[in-house]
Amino acid sequence: MTDALFTGLSALALYAGWRVFRVDSMVRASFWLMISFIAVGGIGILLSAPYIGVATVFMMAVEMTVMVIFMVMFMMNPAGLNPMMMVHQHRFSIGAGVVAFAGMTAATLLTDLPSNPVAAGKAVVHDLGIELLGDSMLIFETAGVTLLATMVAAVVLSARTGRFGDAVEGSVPPGLEPGGTPAGRVPEKSGGHHHGSHGDGRSDHAHHHEGHDHDGGGHDHAGDKEKHA
Amino acid sequence: MSLAAFPFLAFFLTLGAVLAVVLDAVARSALAGAPAGRYLAGPLRQAAMRLSGQLVTTEAPDRANWRLAPGWYGALAAAGLAVVPFDEGLALVQLPTSIVLWGAVEALVVVVVFLHGWSPNAPFPLIGAYRYVATGLPVMLPSMFVLIGAALPARSLDVLAIVESQREMWNVVRQPLGLLLLLIVGLSLTLRGPMDYADSADLAGGSSAEDSGPARAMWQAARLAMLVAFSAMAATVFLGGYLGPLLPGPLWLALKTALVLVLMVAATHLLPRMPVSRMVTFLWVVLLPVSFLHLLAAGLVAL
Amino acid sequence: MTLASVLIVAAGLIGIGLYGALSQQSFVMLMMGLELIMNGALLAVLGFWSFALGGMPEGQLLAIVIMAVMAVEMAAGFALIVAVYRNRQADVTESLTTLKQ
Repeated sequence: MTDALFTGLSALALYAGWRVFRVDSMVRASFWLMISFIAVGGIGILLSAPYIGVATVFMMAVEMTVMVIFMVMFMMNPAGLNPMMMVHQHRFSIGAGVVAFAGMTAATLLTDLPSNPVAAGKAVVHDLGIELLGDSMLIFETAGVTLLATMVAAVVLSARTGRFGDAVEGSVPPGLEPGGTPAGRVPEKSGGHHHGSHGDGRSDHAHHHEGHDHDGGGHDHAGDKEKHA
Repeated sequence: MSLAAFPFLAFFLTLGAVLAVVLDAVARSALAGAPAGRYLAGPLRQAAMRLSGQLVTTEAPDRANWRLAPGWYGALAAAGLAVVPFDEGLALVQLPTSIVLWGAVEALVVVVVFLHGWSPNAPFPLIGAYRYVATGLPVMLPSMFVLIGAALPARSLDVLAIVESQREMWNVVRQPLGLLLLLIVGLSLTLRGPMDYADSADLAGGSSAEDSGPARAMWQAARLAMLVAFSAMAATVFLGGYLGPLLPGPLWLALKTALVLVLMVAATHLLPRMPVSRMVTFLWVVLLPVSFLHLLAAGLVAL
Repeated sequence: MTLASVLIVAAGLIGIGLYGALSQQSFVMLMMGLELIMNGALLAVLGFWSFALGGMPEGQLLAIVIMAVMAVEMAAGFALIVAVYRNRQADVTESLTTLKQ
């Protein structure tokens, strides 16, 4: 029974992991990855680690949901309407994957692995709790602080405005062709913020709307005209 | 694993779903001030219409996920109910960490509802799916704190132990705030009332806007199943589950589940719904700190 | 189910993850490859813990640390992706050439 379950879950984990890079949609890819994690969580339960196994499932469900949101934000073809195969150094990667697998498998098979299985009926979850808040508390707390630091770093990195003005101030996306107009979305020119009466219209616009330094032409003229007037 | 729990599980799911439909109809008729009979016939008529209706499809949907989503949702409801003990030691799945398994079910509900809204490849369902993720993910955090808080007096993550720890005093007496927070989580899990951001009427049905015929009936049935599973879980974790004098355990659990069902249906029909942005702010700024404090208080009491 | 079989499955996951991390152009897909490698590592740790350490609690702690690393990797990774996208409108690795000779 255990062996059959293990074989099934292993096959599912590997198949799902392989599908991640073969499906046409980011959403499908991340949910295949989630299935791979769920299968590994199931194997964890079989390996008598019920807490780690189940915790993997819920953590990955949440993580992959977040991943999907980012996927759809950043990727073309979120719905998978077109085939999607965006790879580079494909052969080398396949080779590296195969070599890594073969090497680790060989190492596994050639090593005399120690055998000291978990005793049946051992209170592993209880042990884990005692360990987390006992001898290894420092490690556990370090993980917590690291996560907090990561959250702060993530907010700082992804925030649009920083301490010294807009995060994107002064940076212009590269042109579509060398020396051409910058790529990216340029907000439509709309009335309401043509208040170039401060003389130096350009720097004034720069902090209000980051897109405006791309289409500076029109604004410059407006500013100049007012200056001349 | 105790297979003897299986008939109870099937019984709870079917009877609970019927009860939920009746309660919904009664609530509607009470609010409308009209006789309940007309409202009781409504769901039946609708179910018959849906089941005999034809399946309409959209352009280039993800057919597999679209068709499977109601099945996943129902399966999650069954998996959640599987860890609920119907009597002493009578739970289908027995794990030392079964409350964490319920947490995993809650997290996977967000995934399934998102898939259900994403797969038809149509605007309203997708908006519903996104709105649900925006509100469903922050709801997960209070949910975890509430469940951990409920596990504290038992000193165990096993639902069986959590029930046994309530022999002298139900958890709802120890942690009244916990039940309230868990009910909010439940409204989100079952896409109901104030937390119905996925399937609401303002999006013409949201994530199920493009569902038709039997598929829509299946989705509604799965929502009812999840409602029953959640109510049984809330009754188990906060109202002492199968514990009670005189009557047999399963009957006590059924009565308590029905009580939570009544609360859920009342909340569905009586509470207003906030705009998504305000709800997201509320969830992060109010509900999350409140659940922190709740866990702190629960921990201090358990000490 | 033996330690060797668990480790071979873990090796398979790591191999697939390595392929993904090396071959995918899109940042997000690249991170999926990294996650898959971590998945294999988690399985290997669980296998060793279960078959070779006699249920030593430190083994489970290591698994929890791996989960924390996955969360950190994802949060920091997505923040970097957002920052790069804001600055350069880039969502594939080929667009980042500032360190190229």
